[in-house]
Amino acid sequence: MNVLPNSDGAGLRAAARRGLRRGRDFVDETPPDALVTVTVAAVSLLAAFAGFLAVSSLTAVPFAVFLVATGYGWLRHQELTARVLTLTTTVSTILVLGLILVFIFAEAWPTVQYATVNVFGIPIPGLRLFIETRWSPVTPPIRYSLVPMIHGTVLVTIIATAVAAPLGVAAALFLSEIAPKTVREVVKPGVEILAGIPSIVYGFIGFTILSPWAADQFDIVGQGTYLFVGIVVGLMALPTVVSVAEDALNSVPESMKSGSLALGTTDWQTMTSITLPAAFSGVSAAVLLGVGRAIGETMAATVMLRGSPGLTKPLYNVFYGNDTLTSLIAANYGDADGLQLSALFVAGVILFVTVLFLSIGSQYIEARMRQKLGGAE
Amino acid sequence: MAGATESTLVSEDTTETEAVAAGAVGLAAVLFALSLAAMFELVTITDPIAGVPMVALLGGLLVLLGLAVVGFGVGSRLGYVATDPRPTAGLVASGAFALVWFVVGGLVASQTLGLGTAGWVVASLVTGGAAFAMSALPREDIGSTLPAGALAAFAGIVFLTGVIGPSWVWDLGWEQQASFNAEFTIPVLTGFCSLLVGWAAAKAYGGFGARGRHIGAYVLVYLNALSIIAVLFLLVAFTVLKGLPGLFNGLAFGAGAGPEVTLVGVTFSLPLSWPFVMNGVALLNDVNGVLPAIAGTIWLVIGAVLFAVPLGVGAAVFITEYADRGRFTQVVEVATNGLWSTPSIVFGLFGLAFLVPRLGNQKSLLAGMLTLGFMLLPLVVITSRESMLAVPDEYRDASAALGVTKWQTIRSIVLPAALPGIVTGIILGVGRIAGETAPILLTMSGSVAPPGSQTVDVVGGFQFSLAPPFVTNPELMRATSALPYQLYSLITAGVGQSSNIGAIDEFRWATALILLVVVLGFYAIGIATRYYFRSKLQHE
Repeated sequence: MNVLPNSDGAGLRAAARRGLRRGRDFVDETPPDALVTVTVAAVSLLAAFAGFLAVSSLTAVPFAVFLVATGYGWLRHQELTARVLTLTTTVSTILVLGLILVFIFAEAWPTVQYATVNVFGIPIPGLRLFIETRWSPVTPPIRYSLVPMIHGTVLVTIIATAVAAPLGVAAALFLSEIAPKTVREVVKPGVEILAGIPSIVYGFIGFTILSPWAADQFDIVGQGTYLFVGIVVGLMALPTVVSVAEDALNSVPESMKSGSLALGTTDWQTMTSITLPAAFSGVSAAVLLGVGRAIGETMAATVMLRGSPGLTKPLYNVFYGNDTLTSLIAANYGDADGLQLSALFVAGVILFVTVLFLSIGSQYIEARMRQKLGGAE
Repeated sequence: MAGATESTLVSEDTTETEAVAAGAVGLAAVLFALSLAAMFELVTITDPIAGVPMVALLGGLLVLLGLAVVGFGVGSRLGYVATDPRPTAGLVASGAFALVWFVVGGLVASQTLGLGTAGWVVASLVTGGAAFAMSALPREDIGSTLPAGALAAFAGIVFLTGVIGPSWVWDLGWEQQASFNAEFTIPVLTGFCSLLVGWAAAKAYGGFGARGRHIGAYVLVYLNALSIIAVLFLLVAFTVLKGLPGLFNGLAFGAGAGPEVTLVGVTFSLPLSWPFVMNGVALLNDVNGVLPAIAGTIWLVIGAVLFAVPLGVGAAVFITEYADRGRFTQVVEVATNGLWSTPSIVFGLFGLAFLVPRLGNQKSLLAGMLTLGFMLLPLVVITSRESMLAVPDEYRDASAALGVTKWQTIRSIVLPAALPGIVTGIILGVGRIAGETAPILLTMSGSVAPPGSQTVDVVGGFQFSLAPPFVTNPELMRATSALPYQLYSLITAGVGQSSNIGAIDEFRWATALILLVVVLGFYAIGIATRYYFRSKLQHE
């Protein structure tokens, strides 16, 4: 953070001047035909992108120009072309995130507008999505309340976190501090493979085995419970928690641990009083990422839940499971159009924004921890 | 370490007391195993074991275990057993015990005794407070054994007296009905008590104090790791067992057994017939198969890799080699990490909104490829960047000292050195996207049970023309199936849609198995590659 220029006006102006000068130097130093090639490639790629956005059948023309220009540049001015190409790929990575934001927000807007409520004469778009509980896309009055699905997602996430956080942190401790080398070589790939089992396979096993079993055990009407979806999703979020928490524990300097052990503490005392406190922020980042995974998990929830939006009665009744935000999208995209499809995009926006915040938050926490452990930079 | 001198003096009877404590740990393990068996209905709780009904057996063992642990604690306090306890059991343990006993007190007061809200709150506070005092105030040997042992003994007595018997049911009385029955409650309570007492006994085995806590904690941590591996093993083994019959249905070897293939103009019969992998679904098939889905998955993966790997590796090269560390690289990092954690269904929605209208306005293989490519992209960037950062700067400096340009250094030094990491990352990423259902559900899903004739043939599908867009490929532009989607649609399909498939359950499990094999195959290759390169690095 310290290397960044001050973001006040003077700093910005200085940065702009520096950039301008660098740009002028670049133009002066580069041979003209290389410059022309790169410019042609950039312009044609932009044109191709614009054509793709506008659904033009002529998109292929500028793209072909781009390919030719890049090919020529690669043969004649490889150094510059490689640099520009890698810059392009970097920009397009950021562009993907931007496009996701723009497109799902744009698709979500009609329903947000439909659900406008006047509060003291001030229209607030989207408010009705959150203050009513009625999801009824067919029978009037047509309402697209997301409250039942948010309730479901919250319940599932709480249960999943209760499963994944303690077990995951304990497993990370085991892998990074306790396990002998041979055991670790078995358990670590095991956890990775657990992450590799497709979510639909989890869902299938949950649907054919767990759901009927739960319905029988708890004397529930019908099948589908938030409780077992939460447990399955927690199991799926577990590997994320384990691997990130293990990284955090491994980043605690060995000297700190040895210092504690040299005082005559047991391994466990060192873990609880040195390693875990030092890695605490990294471990909490791991749990946050796990929560993000649990919120976004789709297929297991879709297959195991009932797919009939509504609140459970009473609200804490986890033995009944109706719909989560993710399963709502996966189960209804097929026969939805117009406002209902747009409502699904609202659910997507909520998911995307929540998980993005969790991701940025955990990155911030991790960066702070690295700074603290690495000493003042 | 006040007791350090004491414990060294007593050497003979420590082995005996250790044996008692170890026996208690073993008994707890047996009880835990029994509760698991009852949970999975391997034994029912009314079954007699050696003439004793299961419930009574569990109850009796719990009482025995509880008394043993309490006895050990009291013996230690009175000085019969040499231990090394701290002055108190600690706030964490006391808090946990208080919480457990708070719940127990509340449940007994409200459900068994039928007291009202005020009654159970008072009872809960009394039992919780008593448990807290019992564990926080006395020395550690009493504090960590008495609340745990008492709980086990109490649960045992409840089972023995039949307060919770085989026909016990607790209706929660909620608007949407749900109830706990004995078949669920008794194993769960037994399992919980045996864990608690097992922990206390392990602590006693270590003689309390720092060593005792160390052992107690290690027992739980090892158990946790073991159960994670057990769950993994169970999941895979179960799927394999259920899927095998359907997978190898009609398998035949021998010359001319298989279907005819034309390769480079030569037509010949494969020496192997594997209907599940080589057929589609059709009314007249002897054995139906999932060939279109397998082909779809393979093409999906190829398309996603072709799209994401150049982009991702290029971006990683730029941010590690060209760009100065600053705001721009930070933005890229945040963006890639954000993309990595974006839910798969959101990628699906994005594909539906962005790609589908621009690619022929229908679900298509190409849209699915690109959507999965978007998902793969952040993973490629992250792993490529990590492995490029791991290349020592000396390499770059040495190359630069020879007077070559930056790009030549990257191409001939950095990329080859980082290649193992990049390849491993790509393979693991491919494993992840090959099993994804949600994105392709919204962007490329085809029919529920596609016939063999719908197998995609991308290579043969290219058509060239003089009018824009010059190159077309109808194979890329139509909806097709993939293994995860096929499994999903088989689960949710109504009876009519899958009526062509006779043994639907067998077919589903075989599909699940083949999906698992494909995905875990990628993971196994990825992990093996990593080990190979790592051992090569270590030996050099």
